[in-house]
Amino acid sequence: MRFPRDLVWFAALLATLLAVGVHNTTAAADGPVDQWWAPGSDRPLPAYVEYDDPAGRIGLVNTAGTITTAGHPFFEPIGTNGRACVTCHQPADGMSVSVATIKRRWEVTAGKDPLFAMIDGANCPNQPAADPASHSLLLGRGLFRIALPWPPRDDKGQVVTPEFTIEVVRDSTGCNSGPEYGINGTRHEISVYRRPRAAVNLRYVASSGFGVSPFIGKTGQLAAVDPETGRPLNMNMMADARKSTLKTQAQSAAHDHLQVAKPLTPEQLTQIQDFELQLYGAQAVSNVAGKLVEPDGPSGIGPEAMAKGRDGVLGNNTTQYVIPMENKWADLPAGKTPAEKARNEFLESVQRGHDVFFYRTFWIKDAMHINSVGLGNPIKRTCATCHGMHMTGMDTANGWMDLGTTNHPYALEPAESPWAKDLPPLPLFKITCREDLPPHPFLGRVIYTQDPGRALISGKCEDVGAIVIQQFRGLAARAPYFSNGSAANLRELVDFYDRRFNIKYTEAEKTDLINFLESL
Amino acid sequence: MRMNRPQLVALLLLAPAVLNAAPPVGSHISFVSCPIIRDTRSVPCWLSDYRSDRYYLTIQSDVSAEVQPPYLGHKVLVEGVVTDKPQICGGIVMSDVHLSVMPELDANCNEQLPAEDRYVIDFNPRPPGPSAGRLAFAGAPGTPRQAAPPARGPQTINIYFDFDHGVSFRHPSALSSVLNAAKQIGAKRMNIVGVRGAHRLSDGTLLQEAPNTGQRRAQEIAGLLKGAGLDLPGAVTWTSGESDADGVDDWQSRRVTVELLP
Repeated sequence: MRFPRDLVWFAALLATLLAVGVHNTTAAADGPVDQWWAPGSDRPLPAYVEYDDPAGRIGLVNTAGTITTAGHPFFEPIGTNGRACVTCHQPADGMSVSVATIKRRWEVTAGKDPLFAMIDGANCPNQPAADPASHSLLLGRGLFRIALPWPPRDDKGQVVTPEFTIEVVRDSTGCNSGPEYGINGTRHEISVYRRPRAAVNLRYVASSGFGVSPFIGKTGQLAAVDPETGRPLNMNMMADARKSTLKTQAQSAAHDHLQVAKPLTPEQLTQIQDFELQLYGAQAVSNVAGKLVEPDGPSGIGPEAMAKGRDGVLGNNTTQYVIPMENKWADLPAGKTPAEKARNEFLESVQRGHDVFFYRTFWIKDAMHINSVGLGNPIKRTCATCHGMHMTGMDTANGWMDLGTTNHPYALEPAESPWAKDLPPLPLFKITCREDLPPHPFLGRVIYTQDPGRALISGKCEDVGAIVIQQFRGLAARAPYFSNGSAANLRELVDFYDRRFNIKYTEAEKTDLINFLESL
Repeated sequence: MRMNRPQLVALLLLAPAVLNAAPPVGSHISFVSCPIIRDTRSVPCWLSDYRSDRYYLTIQSDVSAEVQPPYLGHKVLVEGVVTDKPQICGGIVMSDVHLSVMPELDANCNEQLPAEDRYVIDFNPRPPGPSAGRLAFAGAPGTPRQAAPPARGPQTINIYFDFDHGVSFRHPSALSSVLNAAKQIGAKRMNIVGVRGAHRLSDGTLLQEAPNTGQRRAQEIAGLLKGAGLDLPGAVTWTSGESDADGVDDWQSRRVTVELLP
């Protein structure tokens, strides 16, 4: 008799949970510092583990059971700078790394942790390593430097003739106008600054089950293909989609961030890929409501739900939902005790937050790669229109869009003044699109941006500031948000959308939406 | 014929009304104007004014819609045939509607109207939020899909474009059709012709695409097909424009023609 694969691993998981206890964590007793996974820690990663986060606890499920990390290329310092993949993809931080964790590492190690390696952990590699000001973007916003070639190169490394010119308007970090690292420097690089993405639930992120064809559905351009299979990919792996399989991303990251002396071996790449495809994570416990995972609870909540869910499914519909809740937390009883009352009120708020996310319409306007894909500008839709991937809230197909997180006039750009204590921290570029081609449909031919996003790979004017949508799971563990870390917390994230699209959320709607997001 | 003074005055008073009268049913109409979006209790509808008439263009739906909405912030090139169907959203209904967003930004095109009780969209195939689980214009669940017969012999496939635009969201399906047809007929040769489109508007104006448009389209399509693995010998050529624009189906002039030969 054959059991479904889901059933087999779930039974194994259950046995493990019974053996070790659901709340067995490596952290709680010794405080948050011990949640840190240093490279080469040589400790097992359990089949299930929870870590404290600001909203409660995040849970991670490893469907392969407990794994030994000794010798594992994800956990070992395989590069030359002492880092491992786990350095920036911390289990306790939902497999990203929060700015709170980064600050703690600076304090604990006096800035000597490999996390602060000068290649990308500093605003520019030529700055003094011991000075925290050299790492201000990492310490302040959790941003790593991403150095990209100019002119752009596609995912095969071929030079792309850009549809635009680029100038440095504000060089906040001193890198983009320098003689070595500047655009016109000897290395011909552009430095942009981005958050590390969550290396969890990647079965969903890497799935090409919906809306993927040889030609990108939103632009008609060529989709990246898997070099091993030749099949087109959804290109949702990285902020600019410059690498689109787990293996090519790992190889690229090992070179760029770990400074490996030689490329990873096929065996190492397979080990990393296998690990990333067996790891799932989501919020498991709320500070207010306690356990979020309950036998009769919503089927889309918790890490086990992620491990069991179907990938490559469009969820922006009433048959498969983005985050299935089944109205399980609507109209709960008042509660007999204060704790029960608080729990039920919180869970009802989460349910309402889901409904705001899924049903609350507003006008989405001038957002490249959503208003430009046949729906019109503006469209009256909901959050779930763009965040439509079942279980993750990503885009199912090639998911880069310009919400305005990095582009003028919507990006966070405090007005400068003689009285301002801090200058805007990020660089600012001026993009001028070629006259002989159509302009950007919503921004015209001159665009100011902190990060040109996908355009630094595709060379397309229409891609300026377009960033691949990130997943929603484990959010509470990995602030700040957006690729440029411009939202310090979920309130700022919601406020950004509220301003950007003139949604006019009520305070109650904002609270509900935040409670929903931090419960994912 | 000599008119007396009262007759002349009457004619002059009548002239604007005659000039502004809605075109007769069945006539082709083509104009460039700002789109207008009107909210309704369900999905918004799109309209555009030309002369003294308001035309209904389409509604918000999803990517499966035959007529996809234009953009505020841009003028839209409208082509259609006037019908006598009941007005929708206060606009004259046309058939064979083709809309093309004009590429340059135009800040004057920014009219967004609120919902009014008298304008009801009761045929919308999907609400403004989540769908019922399928594309708006897909067949009902369980409806068998009509599979196209396999291609045989030489194939000519036209790929149509928005005015002055290159490849966009409209084209993955057409490009995939070329790949499939080439595979089915075992194509050995491929010729690609890019056409610079021209339009005769209803006011007589001839609207032509940028001079390099045909070349740009032909080369872009050739590059994409080659990148997708269809690397066949053949010619990639382009025209500098069509002179026979007459205001009837001129949208077909904005195209690339791909000829596949076994």
